[in-house]
Amino acid sequence: MRRWESWSLLVGLVAVVGLFAAAREVVDPLGRVVPVPDQAQRIASPYGMGTYYLYALGAKDRIVAGWYIGLRTANQAPEALRRLDPNLATKLRFGDPNVEDVAALGVDLILADATRYAAFTRLAREVGFPVLEYRVETFADMASALRVTGQALGGEAEARGDALARKVEETLAALAAATAGLGRPRVLFSGTDTLCVASGTMFQTLLIEAAGGASVSAGLAGSWNEVSLEQVLVWDPEVILLAPYSAAEPKDLLADPNWQRLSAVASGRVFKMPRLIAPWDTPVPDALLGLLWLAEVLHPGALGIDLCAEVLAFHRETYGLELSAEELAGVGCP
Amino acid sequence: MSRRRAWLVHLLWIAPLAAFVGSLLVGRYPLSFASLLQGLGEGSTSLAGSILWRVRLPRAIAAGLVGANLGLTGALFQGVFRNPLVDSRILGVSSGAAFGAALALLVGSPAAVQGGAFLSGLAAVGLLLLLGARFGFSPLVLVVTGVLVGAFFSSLLGLVTYVADPLRTLPAITFWLLGGLGGTRWGDLVPVAAVSTPGLLLLLALRWRLNLLSLSDAEAGALGVNAKVFRPLAVAAGTLLVSASVSISGMIGWVGLIVPHVGRAIVGSDQAKLLPASAALGATTLLVLDAIARSALPGEIPLGVLTGIVGVPAFLAVLRVFLRRRGEAR
Repeated sequence: MRRWESWSLLVGLVAVVGLFAAAREVVDPLGRVVPVPDQAQRIASPYGMGTYYLYALGAKDRIVAGWYIGLRTANQAPEALRRLDPNLATKLRFGDPNVEDVAALGVDLILADATRYAAFTRLAREVGFPVLEYRVETFADMASALRVTGQALGGEAEARGDALARKVEETLAALAAATAGLGRPRVLFSGTDTLCVASGTMFQTLLIEAAGGASVSAGLAGSWNEVSLEQVLVWDPEVILLAPYSAAEPKDLLADPNWQRLSAVASGRVFKMPRLIAPWDTPVPDALLGLLWLAEVLHPGALGIDLCAEVLAFHRETYGLELSAEELAGVGCP
Repeated sequence: MSRRRAWLVHLLWIAPLAAFVGSLLVGRYPLSFASLLQGLGEGSTSLAGSILWRVRLPRAIAAGLVGANLGLTGALFQGVFRNPLVDSRILGVSSGAAFGAALALLVGSPAAVQGGAFLSGLAAVGLLLLLGARFGFSPLVLVVTGVLVGAFFSSLLGLVTYVADPLRTLPAITFWLLGGLGGTRWGDLVPVAAVSTPGLLLLLALRWRLNLLSLSDAEAGALGVNAKVFRPLAVAAGTLLVSASVSISGMIGWVGLIVPHVGRAIVGSDQAKLLPASAALGATTLLVLDAIARSALPGEIPLGVLTGIVGVPAFLAVLRVFLRRRGEAR
């Protein structure tokens, strides 16, 4: 038998053993009962958020192929993510996943998005791979997704998933209590472009509301909406937030003569949401920091927390990563 | 016929079969010929069998069918419209189908993409025939109304992409528009085959008469073919094939434009020979390109992108030959 034939046989055997070693069942976020291997060791996550769940649950070494929010190459990744996973370049995938690629990698568990890559998901399930499907649009969805992922990974990850989900629930409750009697500043959240704003159903809007603000664009439907500067002038936001992946910087808006009439610009309250591992405005565990950071922006001191200590502790406890002074400075911590 | 050309004609019929078998041997998952045969016998009980039966076979059949449809309709339309620069996209059916697929993705129902694309493609054909019934079915009217129908559906598609979620829905729409056969399953093939097979057979059966459509209506009438009836019939059958193809593969350009020219170089411009030759060449082309699309990189390469990258240089080569014959190029 030639060498590559032996390899293919081995990979096939590993995969088949993986497929038939299903010892447990979990109910995925879409309510499907999915048989999962006792200890999934080779995971593919064509679901951008799901990849970060795996990191947060301590399963980074089990990721063999991962899709990362907005990343096409490892060089585009933030330094913190590259330090967290030195093997990022070999795992990073983008675009439409390929069932044969997954099979060749000997994958024994797949995390998938319920809407994106639907054809891949259907085919992968038909071929026999255990596929967990996610649709995460709210904080409650995220908490449940973390629990399910923990259960699917088994062992210590199950407790970690549960702890993170509880942390999400506790943080939301603490924020609601701390901001209950306070005014709700009008907030504009802009995405890749300054005039591309978040609609009412988007996670970013939920984030603003949970942190004690009111999104000026909450009345818009759909997804990101292009609006005119005139509309922004009508809204007159008191705070403007730029997404971590925005090409614009707060100083650009503060210097732009067209934007000077806005309350947010006049008072200098234009901020770029940080990103260290994952963007803080997306439904991944880092959104916990997004909540705390935004609450501090909108209602300074109301929570009674030391944000920088929280940022340090979150990365240490969730990812096992010590942040550098430079990374801390990047999120406004001296 | 020269010996070289006769040899080429024989090759034309063997090529799709060879490409079909060859494409079963190629993929990201390493399968030797022996394990392929073993998988063939095992069905989907083993991983190798699953890869062969559930991943490669339906996809190869889809590539063959879509390629044959695009090649044949390209040749058909070039003849019917007496224009060597038209292909299956000229009548707006692709744009119609693209709108339906994008709409299905927008409303969050990926399972409805194929049906949405097909129905919306049919709506485009319906609109075209309705306009034809009003303004006549001359080649000029068909091309103009086709372009208008295409522009209308392109605008609707623009509207859908404008309101789509840029993180999830928009990439799905974009990838669909770029064309590809990733994730094709047996179930997806049934409606395509149900429409394509009778459509292909009908056009192949009528291929002798199709030659007459490239004449004027009066000349065709003198030779016993009522072009006013036969032309919309041929166009409707062709657009049905395109609609069925686009519904499964997304937008795949260039195959329908280039393949008939290559076919013409081998079998001449007699539609009776050109139609089956273009179908065979189209199937071969798409089988080969799809094998590259799913094997070259860990992720899928959009098939429409590959056909463009291969198609444009091929078109330039065809143009050079064409101009040379007219003595306009060195």
